[in-house]
Amino acid sequence: MTATIERPFPRADGPAKATGQADYTGDLTAPGMAHGRFLVAGRAHARIRRLDVTAARTRPGVFAVITAADVPDRLYASSGFVADRPLFARNVVRYEGEVVAAVAAATPEAADAALRAIEIEYEDLPLVLDVERALQPGSPLVHENWAGYEKDGEIVAEGNMAARSTIVKGDATAALGAADVVVRERYVADMIHPVPIEPHAILAEWSGDRVTIHSSSQVPFAARTMVAETLEIPQHRVRVVVSHLGGGFGGKCDFHYEAHVAALARAARRPVRVVFTRREEFTMPDKVGHGMVVDLETGLSSDGRIVARRGRILLDCGAYAADSPVLGQIACMEAVGPYRIPHVDLDARLVYTNRVPSGSVRAPTGPQTCWAVEGHTDELAARVGLDPVEFRRRNLVTAGDEGPTRQLFEPNGALRALDEAARRIGWGSPLPAGESIGIAAGWWFSMPSASGAFVRIDADGRGRIVTGAQENGTGAVMALAMLAGDELGMAPEDFAIVYQDTDAGPYDTGSAGSQTTFNAGRAVVEAAREVRTKVIAAAAEMLEAAHADLELRDGAISVVGSPDRRVTIGAVATQVQDDGGLLLGAGSGTAPTKPEHDASACVGRLGFEAFASPTFFCQAARVKVDRATGVVRVLEVAAVNDIGRVLNPRGAAGQITGGVVQAIGTALTEGTVYGADGRQRNAALLDYKLPTAADAPTIDVGFIEAPAANGGPYGAKGVGEPPIVPTAGAIGNAIAAATGARVRRLPMTPERVWRAMREGSDGAADPGGPLAPAAASAGEPASGGAVPVGASAGNRR
Amino acid sequence: MSHRWAAPTALADALGVLATDPGARPVAGGTDLVVGSRQGRRPLPDSIVAIDRIPELAGQRADPDGSLVLGALTSHAWLASADAVVSSWTALADAAAIVGSPATRGTGTLGGNIMNASPAAETVGPLIVAGAVATLVSSTAKRQLAVAEVATGPGRTAATAGELLLTEVRVPAPPEGSGSAYVRLEYRAAMEIAVVGATAFVALDGSAGGDGSAARATIREARIALTAVAPTIIRATAAEERLAGRSPDAAAFAAAGQAAAAAASPISDVRASAEYRRAMIEVVVARALSAAARRAAGEDVPVPASRWAHGQEV
Repeated sequence: MTATIERPFPRADGPAKATGQADYTGDLTAPGMAHGRFLVAGRAHARIRRLDVTAARTRPGVFAVITAADVPDRLYASSGFVADRPLFARNVVRYEGEVVAAVAAATPEAADAALRAIEIEYEDLPLVLDVERALQPGSPLVHENWAGYEKDGEIVAEGNMAARSTIVKGDATAALGAADVVVRERYVADMIHPVPIEPHAILAEWSGDRVTIHSSSQVPFAARTMVAETLEIPQHRVRVVVSHLGGGFGGKCDFHYEAHVAALARAARRPVRVVFTRREEFTMPDKVGHGMVVDLETGLSSDGRIVARRGRILLDCGAYAADSPVLGQIACMEAVGPYRIPHVDLDARLVYTNRVPSGSVRAPTGPQTCWAVEGHTDELAARVGLDPVEFRRRNLVTAGDEGPTRQLFEPNGALRALDEAARRIGWGSPLPAGESIGIAAGWWFSMPSASGAFVRIDADGRGRIVTGAQENGTGAVMALAMLAGDELGMAPEDFAIVYQDTDAGPYDTGSAGSQTTFNAGRAVVEAAREVRTKVIAAAAEMLEAAHADLELRDGAISVVGSPDRRVTIGAVATQVQDDGGLLLGAGSGTAPTKPEHDASACVGRLGFEAFASPTFFCQAARVKVDRATGVVRVLEVAAVNDIGRVLNPRGAAGQITGGVVQAIGTALTEGTVYGADGRQRNAALLDYKLPTAADAPTIDVGFIEAPAANGGPYGAKGVGEPPIVPTAGAIGNAIAAATGARVRRLPMTPERVWRAMREGSDGAADPGGPLAPAAASAGEPASGGAVPVGASAGNRR
Repeated sequence: MSHRWAAPTALADALGVLATDPGARPVAGGTDLVVGSRQGRRPLPDSIVAIDRIPELAGQRADPDGSLVLGALTSHAWLASADAVVSSWTALADAAAIVGSPATRGTGTLGGNIMNASPAAETVGPLIVAGAVATLVSSTAKRQLAVAEVATGPGRTAATAGELLLTEVRVPAPPEGSGSAYVRLEYRAAMEIAVVGATAFVALDGSAGGDGSAARATIREARIALTAVAPTIIRATAAEERLAGRSPDAAAFAAAGQAAAAAASPISDVRASAEYRRAMIEVVVARALSAAARRAAGEDVPVPASRWAHGQEV
């Protein structure tokens, strides 16, 4: 081992992408292909009074127009939590991007003309847009018959509350009562979009009773399952294939429009392709980062140790639950943060609204919650007169500490990441006028799940890996060649990879949850080891040597100490084949287990009561705030991460660099703006402002390697999501350090920073009184069923 | 629905099409027309006259009187980097350098930026304070019109039917001892659109300070144009008048900024509230004046001034 890993290598998909030759789903065509378009509601909440597609169907060039009447009448649960959603709206539309009908026509123009010919009448219904009002008695309901929905038995729901989760340990009420200092704050984050540069695209093609769906999906197996379920066809007749994927960031997780296009292609009796416009990309897919309200109340001892935390979190679910029910639990864990807190009482409620559905966008709830927690942490430090780094040093977890549900922490890099980030940014050194520094720490989980791989070595000495894993652009799947090569003494370039085709690869969760290297890596290692065993057995015979004396290196097998006694791996493969065998291996590995914990006091336990192989990280940001305008430029970010063993330094650094840049958008300029009519007002890239290359700061990436005993291959942990989590917190703290004003709204736009400087804060309401204790038993919402926070009591300062 | 397309290579041919086909729209770079269509703001016109291959509209020249004549097809990229523009009409370089992306600047033209009549058009404020004059032609006539008079509202111009082509823009030579700057409020460092912007032209009397500063000079004349605060780009005449005869210092610039803000009628939209916009007018006006005065005094303020202006104490 270690011949190959930890060395930079060129990605197999790199040249095609860099030269523009790579095909993305929107580039694909099929003979006789029709162009599909969707009719969406265009209003946030309404009853469909009349829907007539007769005229549209008779227009020239139109092959099919389908609606809810043309697909099975059933609701689906895209991630298995709540069956609350139809493929096409039935009777009611619940957000502006909800699909009402679909058209297939000879040209996109003919399809558009057919959309305009669809006759539809709506009766507008009261809008549910405010998450606090939505929980009050008498609020209009987004789902009138929510009680009748099929749902996971662990889900706690009521009215517009789609799910509730708590993380509870100890006695927060008593500990807060006894604390020397108690600080309460409210932080509010706007919804954020993943904005992959490649929009959603799907091409569906039937052959007899089998359908092949090319989809820009991060989760082809999940898509296959849901196509089968919603169209009521057996899974084995559905094949989902993904071309090169132009980014996802979670926006292409879950099941989206594969079934719609498959149904459309079946009705049109020809292949149909749909490619989303940018506006559709913003308003339709059910994957945006949650708008959140985070109330935090923390008690300290006078020497700056956190003794208790209570938190009340509201997540804007949007119109459909998708995979959001599990995310409140993650938000609660993030609200505790990587800190040693003896008494915790966190309560997250997921609230249906008439907005685009939220879901697991890169590190779901992480950036928003960490931003709130880390701003809060700086405020705590200030209250006890401690430097922010010193305050964190006193409270970060170390080996042997207990987590929020008493999981025991292994040795980890949390403290060293803090000190290293502070050192790299020059914490405490004099700064040029107008510049300031902020720091933020965080933690995230690795996600054990099933994955499988086949590895083979052909007679030409080249390898092939077949995996179900999905390459979303991170390079994680490309790096599987590095792991197989390491086991077999070969170079990554010696392997071809067959991937993202549900007919070829074994099941995989997909590109989600920072899980690809963690799980698919483990599967590839196991498959490669099976091949290795066969290689060694054959080579031992060919070289007349003992198994234990052989080493695999540089594409050959040789006897240790006698480099002349050597056969190439191709020669071995040829010999094995001549003898009637083949060098094949299969693996799925054994998923790491979740650490022992005690979640008996928690409700809504949906799988994240403890964090498996947690990663720890710290980022420090140096910024320059324009005090006259509130415009913030990020000049430098030091990002230091404990992601366990770093297998692919180039790839890992790429994830961190990209994460930081993406998170600068979350921090400063991105954020969905809604009108009072429930429609998005900035559904375009001019006004939904992503950071540009010119906004990217110097990014100094560091690793603290604390290999996980119970982790991924060779002690690796996940890296995809963590880098995006702490950046906004670090920037927020730098802004506060520069201006003396705390911005408690995300994104921290120039206007919000400007207001905060004028008014001492940005005017976000703080909770008016102590947060109410959570009901510890399942099923009971806290007092009154509404959010237990006061309306507004002005600013804390 | 029929679509018509012409790509003439002579001005007369283009004018002929525009005269006979009332629905026809000229397109050069297409960075407004095509992007606007893709965003669903307005469909592409049924008839398009591509004017990007017409030699009479291309090129630039310096006239003997010192004025600069810019063909309608002059790209933003050229304006941002041409020595003459950077040294003498610096605000125009400031503005051209921050339009859209490198691709937009390479493709988008000066003529298009003016005739699109956006209240956020970057190059128009600098042209207005420079006293630039546009030439409008139809198949039968030709007239001169101050650039300040071209736009009459968002997307509307003073051009009459058939008089759809702007052929060139004449920018008079700036007087001795003058400088100009365009400063835009930018939320991010590239790919922006003006939330508010200000162009300043400052001509100084008296010698510059020994350290290159304008400290001992007085302002002979100031001109200010405001971008994205009204239906068209407007002059802030009250603010200009306050500056004449004054020392070019922070207090004078701040007062001018306040006067300019008082004269503006900003709106609230998805990009900013009216209150913030009004406050930012003060800031960008003061900063543009400061940059222009520094340039007038011979001090180097790099192009684009918007980047220099970030965090700048006036």
